[in-house]
Amino acid sequence: MNKVKSIIITVIFAVFIFSVSAACYFKPDTDFSYSERRELLKRPKLSVETVTSGEFMNNFETYTADQFPMRGVMRGIKAFFVEKILMQYENNGVFRAEGHLSKIDNEENPYMLDYASNLFTQIVDRYAKDKNTNIYFSIVPDKNYFLAAKNGYPSLDYEGFISRMKEKTSSMKYIDVVPLLSLNDYYTTDSHWKQENITDIAEHLASEMGTDAKSSYTTNTLTNSFYGVYSGQYALPVEPDSIKYLTNDTINNCIVTYYDTGMPKTGNMYNMKKAEGKDPYEMFLSGSTPLATIENPASKTDKELVMFRDSFGGCLAPLLAEGYKKITLVDIRYMSSSFIGNFVNFENADVLFIYSTALLNNSTALRP
Amino acid sequence: MLFSSIPFLYYFLPIVLIIYFITPKALKNTVLLLSSLVFYAWGEPRYVFLMIATVLFNYILGILIEKTRGKSLSKFFVILSVVASLSVLGYFKYADFFIKNFNTLTGLSIPLLKIALPIGISFYTFQILSYTVDVYRGDVAAQKNPITLGAYIALFPQLIAGPIVRYVDVEKQLVKRTHTFEKTAFGIQRFIIGLSKKIIIANTLGQLCENFHSADDKSVMFYWLFVIAYMLQIYFDFSGYSDMAIGLGKILGFDFMENFRYPFISSSISEFWRRWHISLGSWFRDYVYIPMGGNRVGKIRLLINIFTVWFLTGFWHGAEWNFIIWGVYFGILLLMEKYFLAKHIKKTKITKHIYVLFFTAISFAIFAGSSMKDALVNVGGMFGYGDIPLISESAVYNLRNFGFILIIAMVCATPLFVKLKEKLNTNRKIRHLMDALEIPLLLILLIVSTAYLADGSFNPFLYFRF
Repeated sequence: MNKVKSIIITVIFAVFIFSVSAACYFKPDTDFSYSERRELLKRPKLSVETVTSGEFMNNFETYTADQFPMRGVMRGIKAFFVEKILMQYENNGVFRAEGHLSKIDNEENPYMLDYASNLFTQIVDRYAKDKNTNIYFSIVPDKNYFLAAKNGYPSLDYEGFISRMKEKTSSMKYIDVVPLLSLNDYYTTDSHWKQENITDIAEHLASEMGTDAKSSYTTNTLTNSFYGVYSGQYALPVEPDSIKYLTNDTINNCIVTYYDTGMPKTGNMYNMKKAEGKDPYEMFLSGSTPLATIENPASKTDKELVMFRDSFGGCLAPLLAEGYKKITLVDIRYMSSSFIGNFVNFENADVLFIYSTALLNNSTALRP
Repeated sequence: MLFSSIPFLYYFLPIVLIIYFITPKALKNTVLLLSSLVFYAWGEPRYVFLMIATVLFNYILGILIEKTRGKSLSKFFVILSVVASLSVLGYFKYADFFIKNFNTLTGLSIPLLKIALPIGISFYTFQILSYTVDVYRGDVAAQKNPITLGAYIALFPQLIAGPIVRYVDVEKQLVKRTHTFEKTAFGIQRFIIGLSKKIIIANTLGQLCENFHSADDKSVMFYWLFVIAYMLQIYFDFSGYSDMAIGLGKILGFDFMENFRYPFISSSISEFWRRWHISLGSWFRDYVYIPMGGNRVGKIRLLINIFTVWFLTGFWHGAEWNFIIWGVYFGILLLMEKYFLAKHIKKTKITKHIYVLFFTAISFAIFAGSSMKDALVNVGGMFGYGDIPLISESAVYNLRNFGFILIIAMVCATPLFVKLKEKLNTNRKIRHLMDALEIPLLLILLIVSTAYLADGSFNPFLYFRF
């Protein structure tokens, strides 16, 4: 190697390494990654204990990755390299097919299925038995049901998964919504379904539960773009979705009460503050809410519904309001099942457990 | 601390380089020693004291060996150094292996010690032994300055994954070394190539290996895919680390020996081992095989010598039977080559390469196991044992997903690009063009490698057993 070239290499790389190093040392910490929707790690606490236990070093490594200067750009470079240069089919487990982003999730966890079904059975036995209740169960398939295997990606055996889950919850009446769904009913950048596309599902569920939720709606569109959960993980630029939400007189006039802190607080079906937040999908019944009630003052029926749900249910519930006088939404990811009796009346109610395959396959998120 | 980490690349290394280059020559080894101790303590805060004690102990023994040279005491001191060093290695690395096997043989249930293995102990123990044995042999003078000896043993570029640098090779450089732009630029280039080999190729192939381990639908095809990916992963990880060590050594003024020379192009197993982990192979040759008489002995003794060396080579890689079998397997292959295979395979053109790749693939199936049982399952799986299908969905998907990186890895495991570059360099214009392209290419590789780290991508550390 000649001297001039050596000097150029040395200078260029010295400038690069020392500049990046200076940026690493002096860049102020960022609190939150909007694209990844997560808190970023702050500089770990330096102490004799954290150093001798190795905790400081472990956390520091994660911290330096989390707080790396222009991390979003770097993640994009990596994703580009993975997809365009190495021609890999996925980045961080997220793949793109048929204009949709989705995450590979192909391993069924039998323990999780047992855990979920046992928990549901315990809830029914504890709260709904001998109370003149009708118990229903429904499963929302992940969008991979329509996407993964068809495009050559590893996929869960969804038919088998649903059938096994049905078997484990055989005391409940199963309501099949799968035939009413297609890939188009899901956001392209997110795992969730679109509210404007599931009115038929709400009608079908209501009909199977012996009520009528047919109604006409006005479709409203959020002005801000919706970059779903997969877009951040995918890290390459994608076309955003837009969130549409449905309204009508019933929805507008319902009294929605949230019990986030245990104390009732009146709110709206759609939380417009959250619609502008880090995850606009949380606008549907305020997202992560342990307990909420929807009361329909103009209801033509006295029927009540207790709905055990995940985030898919938050989007669905407003469309069921037409068919019930009161809907109680319980999210046992955020409240212990053992407290339900303090807040929910099961007498003469329909009880619906509606969960996505993704949650059922990771059901330890549900609290006993 | 790992080379392939942001804390090393952008926090530790820049500060160390600044301090190192502004420090007067007389204090450079002190900077190296202190920075190496920080580097080591980052991953092993408790064991840094063990390393300091080991350095001091062998520093004293080195001086005593030299002072008593020619007397029986000298032999005593070198034996003391060997026994003490191997005892420490044995305690940390092999105690549980012996207890487990003792329990199996006797039916007892002596509890395992479950001691965490100090990172790099196998590498620095061998470096220490090379020092005290060479002092005993009179090949080198005992190092009078404990800081210089400490800098040699703890030198961070080669501390945790080699190459095993012998004291005799760096003795002069420890006292006087030159720093030139040529050496620095070569070091930068070599370091970035090593970093890219580790992060872009080895880690990506490691992801395929992880997918294999977690897959429920293993098949013959998947076993082969796994074994090929695994042998390439180990090669790119290990040779990548060696490249980074050699590169960092150059920047700091040292010339470390080459550790890998395209082993997969070998036409015999003996050639493979002259190209694979060269520093370990030559260490065993010079400090075990030759002292035992080498090949200038009778047939039975030769067999014993060869099996001892390969038993130890396997055992050095990990305290499990599969590593021992892995070593002995190579011993058997080398003996077969020596006595009858070599003359037959030499005559062939392609068969000899297929022969090497096939038998090294089997060896890596053994090496990849976490136990002997696991190793047998791997080898069996490659030949359909266990009623597994020929092809499975996961195998096909992983071949599609990692197909291109496998091709890249296979090509980069040969000297094709180096040969091509040499050929093109004969043309002046093309040489200038390549010189101009080399810098942006290196910069891109560094940025992409950094991008992988910033993304928190899969980045395994494979030397926890060594």
